[in-house]
Amino acid sequence: MTWIRRAVELLAPALLILGTALLALEVSSYLQAYFLDTLVKVAIVVALYVFIGNSGVLSFGHVSFVAVGAWTAGVLTVPEDQKRITMPGLAHFLLTTSVGNVASLVLAAVVGGIFAFAVGLPLMRLSGLAAGIATFGVLEITNNVLTYEQRIGPGLNAFSSVPSTTGIWQATIGGLVCVVVAYAYQRTRFSRMLRATREDPAAAAAAGISIYRQRLLAFTLSGALAGFAGGLYVHLQPLQAGSLSLNLTFVTLAMLVVGGSGSLLGAVVGALALNGIFSFFSAATNTVDVLGWSFTVPSGTAELTLGMLMAIVLILRPNGLTGGRELSLPRRRSVADLEKARATT
Amino acid sequence: MTLAFLNLTWPTFANGLALGGVYALMAVGIGLVFGVLRLVNFAYGQLIMAGAFALAFGSQWGFPNWASILFCFGVVLGLSVLMDLLVFRPLRTHSPAVMLVATFAVAFLLQNIALLAFGPLGKSAGALAILNAPWDIGGVFIKKIAVISFATAVGCLVILQLLLTRTPLGLHMRAAAMDFRTARLLGVRANWVISGAVIVSGLFAAVSAVMLSVQELTVVPTFGTQDTILVLAGVVLGGLNRPIPATLGGFSIGFANGILGGVLPSNQSQYLPSFLFAAVIVVLLVRPNGLFARGGGTVERV
Amino acid sequence: MTALTVEKLSIRYGAVEAVRGLSLEVKPGEIVGLIGPNGAGKSSTLHAIMGAAPVTGGDVRLDGTSLVGRRPEDVARRGIALVPEGRRIFGELTVDENLRLGLAGRRRGRNGGGLTRAFDLFPILREFRSRQAGVLSGGQQQQLAIGRALVADPDVLLLDEPSLGLAPKIVDVVFEALTQIRDSGLGVLLVEQRAQRTVALADRSHVLANGELRLTLGPEDASDTDRLVAAYLA
Ligand SMILES: Nc1ncnc2c1ncn2[C@@H]1O[C@H](COP(=O)(O)OP(=O)(O)O)[C@@H](O)[C@H]1O
Ligand SMILES: [Mg+2]
Repeated sequence: MTWIRRAVELLAPALLILGTALLALEVSSYLQAYFLDTLVKVAIVVALYVFIGNSGVLSFGHVSFVAVGAWTAGVLTVPEDQKRITMPGLAHFLLTTSVGNVASLVLAAVVGGIFAFAVGLPLMRLSGLAAGIATFGVLEITNNVLTYEQRIGPGLNAFSSVPSTTGIWQATIGGLVCVVVAYAYQRTRFSRMLRATREDPAAAAAAGISIYRQRLLAFTLSGALAGFAGGLYVHLQPLQAGSLSLNLTFVTLAMLVVGGSGSLLGAVVGALALNGIFSFFSAATNTVDVLGWSFTVPSGTAELTLGMLMAIVLILRPNGLTGGRELSLPRRRSVADLEKARATT
Repeated sequence: MTLAFLNLTWPTFANGLALGGVYALMAVGIGLVFGVLRLVNFAYGQLIMAGAFALAFGSQWGFPNWASILFCFGVVLGLSVLMDLLVFRPLRTHSPAVMLVATFAVAFLLQNIALLAFGPLGKSAGALAILNAPWDIGGVFIKKIAVISFATAVGCLVILQLLLTRTPLGLHMRAAAMDFRTARLLGVRANWVISGAVIVSGLFAAVSAVMLSVQELTVVPTFGTQDTILVLAGVVLGGLNRPIPATLGGFSIGFANGILGGVLPSNQSQYLPSFLFAAVIVVLLVRPNGLFARGGGTVERV
Repeated sequence: MTALTVEKLSIRYGAVEAVRGLSLEVKPGEIVGLIGPNGAGKSSTLHAIMGAAPVTGGDVRLDGTSLVGRRPEDVARRGIALVPEGRRIFGELTVDENLRLGLAGRRRGRNGGGLTRAFDLFPILREFRSRQAGVLSGGQQQQLAIGRALVADPDVLLLDEPSLGLAPKIVDVVFEALTQIRDSGLGVLLVEQRAQRTVALADRSHVLANGELRLTLGPEDASDTDRLVAAYLA
């Protein structure tokens, strides 16, 4: 019954997302914001996972794809009269073009994907530290340009008047879309080839797999998902270039690594767990109630806890909470299975 | 007398040399630890930040300058050693990716501790700001700190070179950076070599903290972060594993940063990080092993 | 003087059991050969003695003190020096620096012969002492590797295939040096693929195959090619 096993691989992360969404419906609208934020983080981390998890190569550049996605969706959905006031420097074409919510998300994904492809074209030839530093460079350049370039966005300011369409439905569906795409990719032979290059590059190359092409494909796909997630994000809260840079890179990488970068489940678990904890402490800066005991923590505690948790998990469980494995059913061996096993040994 | 080239003036040139010198120190500090641990320390900038805060507090508490500087060295060294014991050594046998992310975590952690303790606005920097006054050198006015930074950096690098080439510990550190396993089989003590690298690296971070904080009015929790990222790029550009290429890489990027910062009009200089990183990426694409690296080094880990 | 004892040594890398129950002894002033086909477990044995391979059973003792569980640098500092397979010279350092690196394994309070001992045994090293080690020929590098091990003034010298890839004339130089080293009172454990020469030189030679001791031969067996071949094929 391999299809059941496969279904579990998809269902476990999907159910986690749905569970989070159901919880979000139960809480006050003030707390719901944290749940929505968590769902968007899941989307970003899953996007990150598509590249890092499958290729085993670190990327510090993915938040730039999130950022261009956010910029695309944001600029294209702010009402025109608002644009003239808040982003007077905008290029004429952007000033006069507006699209709907769904179209903006699709375009965010497209722009994210194209940008990732363009960046990956030269960069996927690099490996190791050179690749790490180069992707870092992409992050810095993107952030630098978005911060100062007023023809394509609000520059130093935060976006304002972006329709807040990322409510509970959009956040949940967005998260699910990312998980399903990641799962679908994972089932293709492209993903299997890429994973083979991760395990043993020499053998994979000898088997005729082009490491470069497979990495580029995954990078592009994951860039598209990151752009999409960026679109979701900008429809959730006013973003500015500064909030789509180092810190977000760190936080999302932390989520992936803590969850276990080798599996889709790890990406989702990491994002839910860390962002849950993070949100809890953020909320606690304005007092929270836990079982009738209310307390307040100074601001910055959330970040501190996150950093500490991450360091501890890295030292004690370097493969992450899930150990990089998908959830699998305990194998109940049938007689036929045993026969087969005996025949092959 | 001016350098008749762009708007390049002698003071700008001197600032470039000074920043190049400090970045070279930071590059060597990062490179030494990489050599023995195969670990890129992202948290190096936070060591510098801690040092800068120590200086600021020193002058707030009315310490004389020498005592503030001593305090700064103490804080940075203590933190380096702690980082080594609590994070680097437990992770020594893990994959480079895990170690990189771990130091990233440490950086984030320290930055947020600073944020929590000192607030986002930081503290006004120490009393060393007087060093921003110029010296009249043959009719050219050059900031004292530029001369001091460059001279200190050169001095530190010369001392390091002597340590590496003239002492047993230095020889052991170089050998460990080339082939740790064989070095240990010959009797080179892993712990000593690692401690040596961590301590020298920490000393250089402290020196950099002093030099960098002179030019800043305030010390904030993100102090040194941008510099460290640039230095990291410079180190990888030069070639991580060897002190001299790493120095050259760090110097080049600091020099370029200092010169371009002075020469470019402000509507272009805001894009300076982009120019620098674009240049780094182009160089990496052409020479993935670094600009100054010869051949392939042994990258075996213990 | 000090004797090295290996007793029922087992080494395992994950699922691969590289050596099973190997026992041997090296006394001062003798050469013990360890020969066998590729993958027999010879290098693993030397690394296990040095504390650089996972020992899963048995014991390694130097003069009665167990070495199992110690770090490689500590084993080296107790008087065991290894000349590793493939020489492992530091090509970017000078000959002199390579030799001084060997001093890292010197025991506290001992000055030993230091560099002069290596220079006396291999005069070529003195001549080239300020050259980069990487530019030396294979034979010269092997001499450097042995010299580097000797400057630590060890009691026991372990050599891993020192004749690998060397011209016959150089092999003569190396084997002649080993005789001199033995005569100066060191215990030598010589891992080799050149079975016949090793058996002829060594006081005893153990044949290792598939991680197990197959046979022990004396110098008188060196001309008995049939026995050697049979041991290898067993
Ligand atoms: N570091 C290692 N990890 C896993 N297996 C190893 C390692 N080193 C050696 N082996 C295995 O142990 C066995 C013995 O190897 P080795 O001691 O190198 O043999 P020899 O030196 O006699 O040629 C071989 O099967 C080899 O594949
Ligand atoms: Mg061998």
